[in-house]
Amino acid sequence: MNFSFSEDQTLLRNSVRAALDEQCKPAHVRAMMEDRGNGYGESLWGEMAKLGWLGLPFPEEQGGAGLGLVELALVLEEMGRAAYPGPYFASVVLAGLGLQAGGSAAQKEKWLPAIASGQARGTAALLEDSLDWDPAATTTTATKAGAGWRLDGVKRFVPWAHVADVALVPARAPEGVSLFLVDPRAAGVTLTPMVGIDLANRWSEIRLDGVAVSAEALMGAAGGAGPVLEGLLRRAAVGASAEMLGAARRCLDMSVGYAKVREQFGQLIGSFQAIRHRCAEMLLEVEKAHAAVYYAAWALSAGAEDAAMAASVCKSFVSEAARQVCGDAIQVHGGIGFTWEYDLHLYFKRAKSLEPLYGDAAYHRELLIRGQVLHSDK
Amino acid sequence: MDLNYTAEDVAFRKQVRAWLEQNMPRQIRDLQERKVWHRKLYEAGYLGMGWPREYGGQGARPMEQAIVADEMARAGAPAPTNGLGVGIVGPTIVVHGTDAQKRRYLRKILTAEEMWCQLYSEPNAGSDLAALRTAAEDKGDHFQVNGQKIWTSGGAIADWGLLLARTDPAVAKHKGISCFLIDMRQLGVDVRPLKQITGSSEFCEVFLTNARVEKENLIGRLGEGWGIAQTTLGYERGGRALARITSYASQYRQLMAAARRLKRNGRPILDDPVTRQKLGRIWTDLEVERYGALRVLTMLERGEHPGAGGSLTKLSYSEFEKRFMELAEEILGPYGQLTDGVPAEYRLEVDTAVGDHGTWAYAFLWSRAGTIYAGSSEIQKNVIGERILGLPKESRADRVGGTR
Repeated sequence: MNFSFSEDQTLLRNSVRAALDEQCKPAHVRAMMEDRGNGYGESLWGEMAKLGWLGLPFPEEQGGAGLGLVELALVLEEMGRAAYPGPYFASVVLAGLGLQAGGSAAQKEKWLPAIASGQARGTAALLEDSLDWDPAATTTTATKAGAGWRLDGVKRFVPWAHVADVALVPARAPEGVSLFLVDPRAAGVTLTPMVGIDLANRWSEIRLDGVAVSAEALMGAAGGAGPVLEGLLRRAAVGASAEMLGAARRCLDMSVGYAKVREQFGQLIGSFQAIRHRCAEMLLEVEKAHAAVYYAAWALSAGAEDAAMAASVCKSFVSEAARQVCGDAIQVHGGIGFTWEYDLHLYFKRAKSLEPLYGDAAYHRELLIRGQVLHSDK
Repeated sequence: MDLNYTAEDVAFRKQVRAWLEQNMPRQIRDLQERKVWHRKLYEAGYLGMGWPREYGGQGARPMEQAIVADEMARAGAPAPTNGLGVGIVGPTIVVHGTDAQKRRYLRKILTAEEMWCQLYSEPNAGSDLAALRTAAEDKGDHFQVNGQKIWTSGGAIADWGLLLARTDPAVAKHKGISCFLIDMRQLGVDVRPLKQITGSSEFCEVFLTNARVEKENLIGRLGEGWGIAQTTLGYERGGRALARITSYASQYRQLMAAARRLKRNGRPILDDPVTRQKLGRIWTDLEVERYGALRVLTMLERGEHPGAGGSLTKLSYSEFEKRFMELAEEILGPYGQLTDGVPAEYRLEVDTAVGDHGTWAYAFLWSRAGTIYAGSSEIQKNVIGERILGLPKESRADRVGGTR
């Protein structure tokens, strides 16, 4: 039993933090928020490829570092802490882990080294018009057309689709829910930006109107996408939780720092119990979120018996804890925390934008109870 | 990071489980039977496991201690007795006591031949424990103690007490306190049980009138009592982490079972989405508590003391227990309030209940105690704010001068 980071893991976290402190300062985040182009920095992307972050969880033979989800969560936590603007999560977690779990040898060979080197970016289109994360609810259709397939439907809230070279798209084939690799620039694909409150995290609507894909675009067997998508959803939920944790920790640090310098009534506000107790509660939530994220990351990596449950515990807990902590941070700061100029809202919005994705707290609570009922019915 | 138990730990767990199956009593009817069970646990090496071997301990690793407590909770084993002796007084004597004190007291704590209580809080010194006024006066060959203590758990059955008393009223209040071992079976000690909101009387008030403490029963040096009490409160935080969660988990399973049987609109309330959300919230929080306990165990295994981190653990589980019981009461409706006449299907099995009362009502009422005893949630938040986050101390009138 060892619930602490190894020396290598600590080194990795320190190096990610140092690099992002240097190259992903709030000024960079703000510049990307206002960027009329792609909304992420190519030079930082190149740096991330060089540092091995973009292939971190992929096998070495596919250009990766062969590390696990704990290491990936460490990197994602730092990205949340920096409100990193760019397609890291979409490319490495959604596309990368999805391909790793469900791709053929040829599909992996084509995409994973390209993602790891930063030459290609990917994403996954997991949500439609209805807010249902259950893969079985997929309504986008896949009909056979010659040797290939024809896709029709609408996907929403697809992160960084506008810069993606490949998107994992679930669609309902006659055999059942299947997973396809789609080029977002292909004929029949229409992207429309969906602008949320977190301007450093870009979403698109993807409209598929008779999009023709080849037989090789199908991942795995037709009708067999369920388990791959469920596994991907769990990993995405834990990865998003790691980012929310990072954002929450940043908000806590800023609040404590502020409470140590801001004076009112002739005293530092941190000496008032109203502020001190709130900060203590924020720390408790952050520490619990830390335990939830890294327990789940370890459980998924190790294939532990309770891995699926741990992922749902993690997302349902962290979604609410991060919201609470980041909101409390605004309250501790008072008026300054409500201004655009002050950086707090960057992290507040990062946590908020990830809260409903990959299943919100209520969705994962329901999954937990469903799992327990099934288990005890056996 | 590796959250698997080692092969050694798994084997030890099996051994403990087998021992419990063989030796666990079905029912405990009185203190005498509990002492017999306590003695059996001690002889098997499952009590005071972390204490030095020369004083009756096993020198066991924190993980082994956690496994024993966890297996006992899993099996629904009756608790041993002398909880404050084993949990607090013993460890205090191990750390701060003289060799003579260790030889005299430790083994008899483990065998429950001598029962202990803790004489800390006073009517006007609760959260502000350092404001205590019970005085111990040096009479040459002994100390003479006068004052009143309150919230003394197990006071009525205690043979000995761990006492905080003021020995120097002239210095700053934290500096004038000393720590003693006091014989509870003497004329100057008057113990009166207090009836709690549960209807039971685990607490007492204790009146000390010219009570006698021998010179050799001072722990540490004069004026060091406050520091000693801080480490003592530290033991109270975090030690039983895993076992506590196992008990909660078994209560949770019984709540699930009740939700299957209870019907509303002709369907089990377990089918009701609102109820499912409540259950999911309890289970999420409970699992997060378990992960936290594993983190604490990792620290203890490496020989690190959680220090102020113990305040996070205590704040966390005590507040969780309140939320848990409030949601359980919502799910169970009026069945959750029954103290007698509980239909069998809505009873809380005694082995997972708090104390010997097989009711949710009792567990619910008891959940109000955790955020008050051993430093209220507000005190824990002060500790966390000052000692972990480094926030400035509040300006307090009592930070200057003595108590008189």
